[in-house]
Amino acid sequence: MKTKQRLYKVFAKAFEIPVEAVNDELQYQQIAEWDSMSHLVLISELESFYDISIGMEDVLEMNNVQRVREVLHSKYGVVIEH
Amino acid sequence: MKLDELIFRNKNLVFRDAKTGVDKGIDKISNSLEIGYHEDVRGLIFVYNDNQLGAMEVLLNFYQSNDAIALLNIGLFEGYKIELERKYKPLYIFDPSRTEINGYMPVRVSEDITLFKRSDDFRYPINQNIKILMNTSGTTGSPKFVKLSDDNLVENAISILDYMPIQKEDVVPINVPVNFVYGLSIFTTNCIKASTIVCTSKDVFQKGFWDDFANYKYSTLGGVPYFYEILQRIGFFKKDSPSLRYLTHTGGLLNQNLWNTIAEYSKKFQKQFVVQYGQTEAGGRMAALLSDDFYHKRGTIGKPIKGGMFRLHEDTGELIYSGANVFGGYANSINDLEFFKQAEELYTGDIARVDKDGYYYIEGRMKRIVKLLGVRLNLDEVELILKNSLEGSIFICVGIEDKYMVIVYSDDKWDRQSIGGVLREKLGINPNYYKTKFLKEIPLTVNGKVDYPLLTKEIHSGEIRL
Repeated sequence: MKTKQRLYKVFAKAFEIPVEAVNDELQYQQIAEWDSMSHLVLISELESFYDISIGMEDVLEMNNVQRVREVLHSKYGVVIEH
Repeated sequence: MKLDELIFRNKNLVFRDAKTGVDKGIDKISNSLEIGYHEDVRGLIFVYNDNQLGAMEVLLNFYQSNDAIALLNIGLFEGYKIELERKYKPLYIFDPSRTEINGYMPVRVSEDITLFKRSDDFRYPINQNIKILMNTSGTTGSPKFVKLSDDNLVENAISILDYMPIQKEDVVPINVPVNFVYGLSIFTTNCIKASTIVCTSKDVFQKGFWDDFANYKYSTLGGVPYFYEILQRIGFFKKDSPSLRYLTHTGGLLNQNLWNTIAEYSKKFQKQFVVQYGQTEAGGRMAALLSDDFYHKRGTIGKPIKGGMFRLHEDTGELIYSGANVFGGYANSINDLEFFKQAEELYTGDIARVDKDGYYYIEGRMKRIVKLLGVRLNLDEVELILKNSLEGSIFICVGIEDKYMVIVYSDDKWDRQSIGGVLREKLGINPNYYKTKFLKEIPLTVNGKVDYPLLTKEIHSGEIRL
């Protein structure tokens, strides 16, 4: 269930972009769809999908896809497999 | 005194480029470009603003010259830029995002600044009073400009300086881009009085912004309600930021919860919070509420600024402003640049009431306007843009409490994706700001016009499910 593909889908849903457009390197402000508004949407999508509550310092920390995976793992115990 | 004279006499002033950390004193930015400063025939200059030091230097230099400046968003789609340039035929273009522009040749005007100059040197009459042109929303590629004079900007800056707690040691980031009138007024007033302007395009979700905040010791931040919602989400109001003395706001009402949070924050940590009300057509601000009143006058926009006056239209309740900062009309083409006619009164399009102590409250709007992220969007214009872009089909737009708009369509060959594409490309609207709904039959009034009130009511009640 907790696959990388599923995480990518959360991103795709939050930004309304095709899942193929998501990759580990994608970062905040790199595409028009990942702006400050959709960043908040992403955070709440992650919270509801993984049933966690993301702390405020991590909202800033989660600035690229790879980093989101790392923070989900280290801070929230969400292990995402390949 | 002209605005540039007011700015250049602040000998303290330093511009810091947040990207490179480079500082430039005000003297290094004065008459620093190889451009014609005193040519008799004025030119129009397009400045696509990226909020970096170079853009500020170009802006201030052309402010010193005899030319008129259109301040534009650098993020506009290239096709729109070209369309605007064809329409307004600017003499110079500053756009660090492009390496070549058809019909223009690159001219190096200083060690680090290159402009594009029109190859045919075509010029046309521009009214002496026009100094700055701005889009009403700051982001869209609309060819409609608000014409502002130097006098408009000076008068507004002086009125703002009367209440804004700027001190001469202040370090001020231009975190609201100067192609928005609010950003421009933060820029001009602080250039006149503060000590350091930090040129930056970093935003509050980037750690770099907060590193700069701590390193440079920002004295103030400004933003629209959404900016404060982000600050709330990242826990900004839970702790003190010692260098920060005051916060400023404009662009719509703060929700109750946020108003309370900020009131608590400003009391606890002794920060001032300045609520404001303004429009591009007023060259910036029209009303302000200072922090002492913030605690007991919830939801107000305050009182008119010094030199300004409000009245309410006797029948409609529309808020009408008068003052020396009222603009000189709109421009839809270069022919309109020949004229500058300052109206005595500015009809704001907002419906207001005033309490017994003279504080004004916005109650509604005259026109079908929605404010998303503090940016005004005319819903009738959005409908027209969709219609023109999508084969003349009919689209109906309804605003839901400045949160998002609903786009209703009755031709099923369109879908959210095709509509969203137009909204993003032409208006820069993010998917979080609209919902789309296919309705086979759009509700009409007995006269055959779209029944907006009914549509809005049914969306609210859930009869029309989104």
